[in-house]
Amino acid sequence: MESIKKLLEKFSCEYVEDYKKTWIKAKLNSKEDLLSLGEVLKTEGLRSLSTISPTDFLDADVMEVNYFFEDLDTKRNLWLKVDLPRDEESCEIESLTPLFPSAEWHEREAFSMFGVNFLHHPDLREIIKSEDFTGVYPFRKDFDWDAHEKNQVQNVQQIVDAFKKEQEENEVDLDPDSSETILNWGPTHPASGPIRLRVHCDGEEVISVDPDIGYVWRALEHLVTKKDFVGAIVAVERLCFMDNINSMTAYALAVEEIAGVEITPFAKWMRVLLGEVARVSSHFMGLGMFFNNMGLHTLAMWNMDTREFFLDFLESYSGARIATAAVEPGGVRYGLDMVMFDELQKALDKFDSSIGEVEAVFVKNPTMKMRAHNVGRLSGDEVHQFGLSGIVARASGVQTDIRIDEPYDAYSELDLEYITQERGSAQDRFMMLFAELKQSIEIIKKAKAHIEEKVASEEMNPTKDHMVKVPKKLPKGEAISRVEWARGEVLMHLVTEEKAKSPYRLKMRAPSFNHTMMLNYLLKGRTLSDIPLIFGSLYICQGDLDR
Amino acid sequence: MIVLDIVNRTLRVAKALFASSAATKDVRFESMHNPSRYRGEHRVDYETCIGCDSCNKICPTHAITMKHLPFKKQNIVPEVNLSVCIFCGLCEDVCPTKPEKSIILSGGRYDMLSGGWHEDQNNFWVNVDVPQSYIDSRLEEEEAARVKKELAAKKKAAEAEAKKKAEAGKAPTEVQSGMPDFNKGVME
Repeated sequence: MESIKKLLEKFSCEYVEDYKKTWIKAKLNSKEDLLSLGEVLKTEGLRSLSTISPTDFLDADVMEVNYFFEDLDTKRNLWLKVDLPRDEESCEIESLTPLFPSAEWHEREAFSMFGVNFLHHPDLREIIKSEDFTGVYPFRKDFDWDAHEKNQVQNVQQIVDAFKKEQEENEVDLDPDSSETILNWGPTHPASGPIRLRVHCDGEEVISVDPDIGYVWRALEHLVTKKDFVGAIVAVERLCFMDNINSMTAYALAVEEIAGVEITPFAKWMRVLLGEVARVSSHFMGLGMFFNNMGLHTLAMWNMDTREFFLDFLESYSGARIATAAVEPGGVRYGLDMVMFDELQKALDKFDSSIGEVEAVFVKNPTMKMRAHNVGRLSGDEVHQFGLSGIVARASGVQTDIRIDEPYDAYSELDLEYITQERGSAQDRFMMLFAELKQSIEIIKKAKAHIEEKVASEEMNPTKDHMVKVPKKLPKGEAISRVEWARGEVLMHLVTEEKAKSPYRLKMRAPSFNHTMMLNYLLKGRTLSDIPLIFGSLYICQGDLDR
Repeated sequence: MIVLDIVNRTLRVAKALFASSAATKDVRFESMHNPSRYRGEHRVDYETCIGCDSCNKICPTHAITMKHLPFKKQNIVPEVNLSVCIFCGLCEDVCPTKPEKSIILSGGRYDMLSGGWHEDQNNFWVNVDVPQSYIDSRLEEEEAARVKKELAAKKKAAEAEAKKKAEAGKAPTEVQSGMPDFNKGVME
């Protein structure tokens, strides 16, 4: 940490301060320094740029851009701020993409949503937002959503026109004598989900892949600013329905930090327990989808069967299977009836009795091994460069896990170990999913035993301890929180104004965004048949891809 | 080795022949899982509702509109548009009435929304039907309270005047009017 501070001394900074245990927070005085600082940081080891989050301060007439640099090896992180002028002509800064490849899409996103112009970006096109927002920047505070939504028919027409135009023109530049063609993979492909890959291919060989995302864009980051701090959880949990608990935890952690509230041990353990149940339900889907994409649907069916028992527990606890809205700032939303643990035990028993068969039939499946052994390989170095996280990073042997690196809630009391694989192929990612599924089950068992023990000794009161009061109005402040989500690292950057009733800005950094960026990289030179396999192995969810 | 493997696999598949059926319930008549917190359709109790508007304010999707009743106080009750509602249950959480909440989703059943017939899905609203007798009784109550208050105000004004008169013997003061009658003309 000290060495990073020493590096920052060479640049003129408004302030350099410690933030949490693993972060340094600094603000650059001049945007001209960014590129040279980036170079220095890269040699220092902070090779991953997690995300870029502009905040639009309308009153101060400032666009503040936040960069989050991470070192996945030594767990040192830097939160860097730069002020830019707000008006659209001069709101520009040097692009970091040449130094940090992971910045590419994040800069495109900042450009699309806030109109921050990144100079010397190799491919600065608009992303995520639909065509009716072309040329306007919806997340700027002075953007008038109501006026935009009045012209709904015209907006839809604009989207349709843009699509037709693209379809007419997309093959104009291709060599008419070759067999090159542009293929739309998705959004109605059985394996794709709501994403479209523009696959430029020559016969069977893939030349390049350009993902078209934004089919499920709900502007969640904007929606939360329209709700109060409690109501915002329903927007945050819609990051992805498969693991919604952990995204709410991340948001709640940020709010609690600004409010200065410490939650009860019971709530902490419940967050761990619920989070791992959600992770299990997500991993079951991930495992199933991997085989689905290879054309075998049995595993998904088997997994759904077991997953149902875990969803039953979530339903008993919160009243809903999927959109649980079970974690609130201040703790967890409901008290616990200890009878519900019987249901959880039933789920764990079902898991224990059925997982052996899954392992024997699918995890050790020789056909799968042959097919996926050498497909979609990522080296550890690439993981650093592209800021990958979660199972994708760990499958390549990079030891990163927010639950261990920056323990939140009750994870500091659990002694977890990194689970990694070496080769970073599609098969390794599948193995990682399976290994983490088992790890999560172990955590659930520990958390359950811990809560039962503490309740029996009356140190915890399951019906009353679940919430502490969080004030309705928060002071001015900002916080970042990170959690290990099912798919990787979620980073939330929350900004509040004085006496705020709702968030001023919430940036949600979602792992699938980086992972989708890898598709072009991994698929270049492969064949069309590898697309579903690699896509499935990256464990992408369009919910958090588009937000 | 291979023989053993084949036998193993055959046995594993053969197990299915003797396993009892996993289906134990006919879910057409009985749900598989019916937890007490299940967030089903809203039930609104217009008698206990204090018309504080909290549920309307917290609703993240603006699914709640407040229906006006012809009273002075506590004259709004929530009605829910189910095609907008996301069943998060925050309205129930913030409802301040005790011991029973006035707007409840939990304890619902999965078939509340579907009802089982297509006609049940034509109406997307949780309407609050307040019977005329309840409205009448509330109006009577308010009328009685108003009359009582008016009388009390008159009495107070008379007392004040008497007091003033007693003081006016010494020094003449401004003539003060009695309490303004806000209710005049509204109730009739």
